[in-house]
Amino acid sequence: MRSFADRNPVALAVYFLATAGVAMLCMEPVILSISLAGALLTFFVLGGRRGHGFALGLFLATALINPLVSHNGRTVLFVLNHSPITLEALLYGLAAGGMLLAALYWLRGFSAIMTSDKLLYLFGGLSPKLALVLSMALRYVPLLGRQGRKVHQAQLALGLYREDNLVDGLRGGAREFSILTTWALENGIVTADSMSARGYGLGPRSRFFLFSWRTGDVLLAVISLALAGLALAGAQSRRFAFYPQLSAAPMTALSVLGYAAYAVLALLPAIFQLKEAIRWRLLQSKI
Amino acid sequence: MALIAVENLSFTYPGGKAPAVKDVSFAVQRGEMVALCGLTGSGKSTLLRLLKPELAPLGDKTGRILLEGIPLEDLPDGATAFRIGYVMQRPEEQIVTDKVWHELAFGLENRNLPQPVMARRMAEMAAYFGIEDWFDRPVSQLSGGQKQLLNLAAVMVMQPEVLILDEPTAQLDPIAASEFIATVRKLNRDTGLTVLMAEHRLEEVVPLCDRLMVLDGGQMLALDAPRQVIAGLKGRQELLCAMPAAPRLYHALQADGPCPLDVREGRRFVAESYRNDLRSLPEESAPGNESAALEFSDVFFRYEKNAPDVLRGLSFTAREGEICCILGGNGSGKTTTLSVAAGLHRPYAGQVKVFGKKLKEYKNQSLYRECLAMLPQDVQTVFLKNTVGEELAGAEVGLELLPFDLLPLFHQHPYDLSGGQQQLVALARVLATRPRLLLLDEPTKGVDASAKAKLITVLKNLKQQGMTILVVTHDVEFAAACADRCAMFFRGQIVSQGAPRQFFHENSFYTTAVSRMTRGWFDYAVTLEDAAELCRRNGRKEGGA
Repeated sequence: MRSFADRNPVALAVYFLATAGVAMLCMEPVILSISLAGALLTFFVLGGRRGHGFALGLFLATALINPLVSHNGRTVLFVLNHSPITLEALLYGLAAGGMLLAALYWLRGFSAIMTSDKLLYLFGGLSPKLALVLSMALRYVPLLGRQGRKVHQAQLALGLYREDNLVDGLRGGAREFSILTTWALENGIVTADSMSARGYGLGPRSRFFLFSWRTGDVLLAVISLALAGLALAGAQSRRFAFYPQLSAAPMTALSVLGYAAYAVLALLPAIFQLKEAIRWRLLQSKI
Repeated sequence: MALIAVENLSFTYPGGKAPAVKDVSFAVQRGEMVALCGLTGSGKSTLLRLLKPELAPLGDKTGRILLEGIPLEDLPDGATAFRIGYVMQRPEEQIVTDKVWHELAFGLENRNLPQPVMARRMAEMAAYFGIEDWFDRPVSQLSGGQKQLLNLAAVMVMQPEVLILDEPTAQLDPIAASEFIATVRKLNRDTGLTVLMAEHRLEEVVPLCDRLMVLDGGQMLALDAPRQVIAGLKGRQELLCAMPAAPRLYHALQADGPCPLDVREGRRFVAESYRNDLRSLPEESAPGNESAALEFSDVFFRYEKNAPDVLRGLSFTAREGEICCILGGNGSGKTTTLSVAAGLHRPYAGQVKVFGKKLKEYKNQSLYRECLAMLPQDVQTVFLKNTVGEELAGAEVGLELLPFDLLPLFHQHPYDLSGGQQQLVALARVLATRPRLLLLDEPTKGVDASAKAKLITVLKNLKQQGMTILVVTHDVEFAAACADRCAMFFRGQIVSQGAPRQFFHENSFYTTAVSRMTRGWFDYAVTLEDAAELCRRNGRKEGGA
């Protein structure tokens, strides 16, 4: 099953940037609602699960702080500490919070499917050297962490820590850290040897790609950009404004088209997954 | 024409008093497999590195090295990088990138090959080495043996003509090591690859290689078919001790005739040359001490809530004043057992007692003060200081117990020592805390044969002084030589245990080479000394070979 996550990473990046970009560029309630719903759906469809506390906090903070600091707007709801709290500022805060939330979940959905291989493919496009350095770092940082834990356990069982107290703990920790740097340098030499033994640095390097471009990937990128363009045009045509009073131009064919385009865009991953699931069902029933 | 020709090669390190390689000349034909052996510091690594210009050490070099008749210096850039493949000792540190596929691609990318060529060669290699299943995996998830196979594959993918291996199996367990060596041999047979391999685990290599080179103090002592070379090593005990069991028995008995190389030939040698009227040596009964130093009762442990159990109802006792060896395969939970005993992990059920006291009752690190100490598998994690001297400051207690003087090493960095030296220095460091119970995890890993013999002496001395030693090891020969009791670990519990002779006699695969060699002819002969003694007492057959 070639799921949404298996598409070419560049096409995926284009999709997510376009979708989140539209939400960030237009402060428009309909687009934001679609975007938020789509972002949450996509996040869950792509296998994201936990950790909503931060997002919720961010949303509440933005929504609540705006009316407290911004007193624009005509409709005064009540007066707090001699400052008017307005409906417009409250709604603007909600919209801004919703936009942050949507953008956050689009990015979380993106990172849920972005393995290190895909990131490497994305950044490697900018520079092959960068790709190699990234790949080495991805190996080295966890390796250093593991070695640190091993050293700590070894020293624990060797009686480096005489007693359970802070001074002793810090002193031991400092020693462990210092040997860890030595270890890293020492092993860096072996790695460097291994690299030059395999001809690193002799001349221009080529790059092995784990991903290829298929028609579907190109289509995904092109369609994403087209739908995002339509959505932007549609949303702009509404000329929605929060201040001084909520106002918008009347709905036109263009704005309806824009909303529809954005809805399709935001639901693409879910549609893909659903389509694959159905196709798989059908195939299975034939077997 | 020889593929590699070395002519009067000498090499001295900057500031070195004596040359590390001295007037060495030899030629290697295409398709040959040559093994190099010699003591630590005999110049094996230096010689191999000189053959690979990218890794050649700096120093004073005389003589010539020719690749197909052309001196290495005159070859174009890159020719030697890609035509000569080189695999080093430590599996982890040679790996450059984070994923298996990227590691395979690394050398090809350096050659600036186009994508389709790279894809084909990588596919080929992955299929040949059977690494398709882990192609997408991060290298951190591989075992040591898999990492070393990956290193080999990552070199072979560049299609080198010569493969140089510098003690590639030193850090591997015996099963992974023999798999690795079998792969090298298969490459040599299947593709005519020329192989030069330094090894100190010769049990596997000697029967397979075409020629064996012995280096001694930088000079080439011999280079010939292994049978001739080994037969010529009469009296060189320090070199012989690294050889397979069959030739060692042959030399111990000062036999004549053709020298047996492997277990099969060894069996024939013993059965055809010696009588077996006396089938086993009288059992020496050691006075048993019944008080327990370490006691596991029904211990269950897992690393994570949803992970499988690593220890499943482990019950086991190490008695005071004995050396006890736990043997078993990879991932059977041996190392976990030690870290549970050392209080680094807490079991979720069952009890661990050290000297009759529950682990929990050792408060405020008192467990690690004059009570218990553990030497981990990777001894590099033991060292914290920049020189051996600093490392051992305050460890005078340990020093007296060691069989030889560590003083000459005092100014060196612990990482610069050989595997065997590191193990002994680490041991001295551990002894500084005056433990009564010593836990050792794979103490023979990366240790050559002569250092192993020293290690056995040290452990026996410590036992004499009343220390209890629990060793977790893959090394059956080591266990047979030093243990009072051996236990077989399988799937999180002990499945059998007994005195070494009994234990190894009853195992028919997981046992020493000597035991496999004398099985059915003698009983309970598990060490070389046992077998040699039995042969001597029985005497030679009349008219035997």
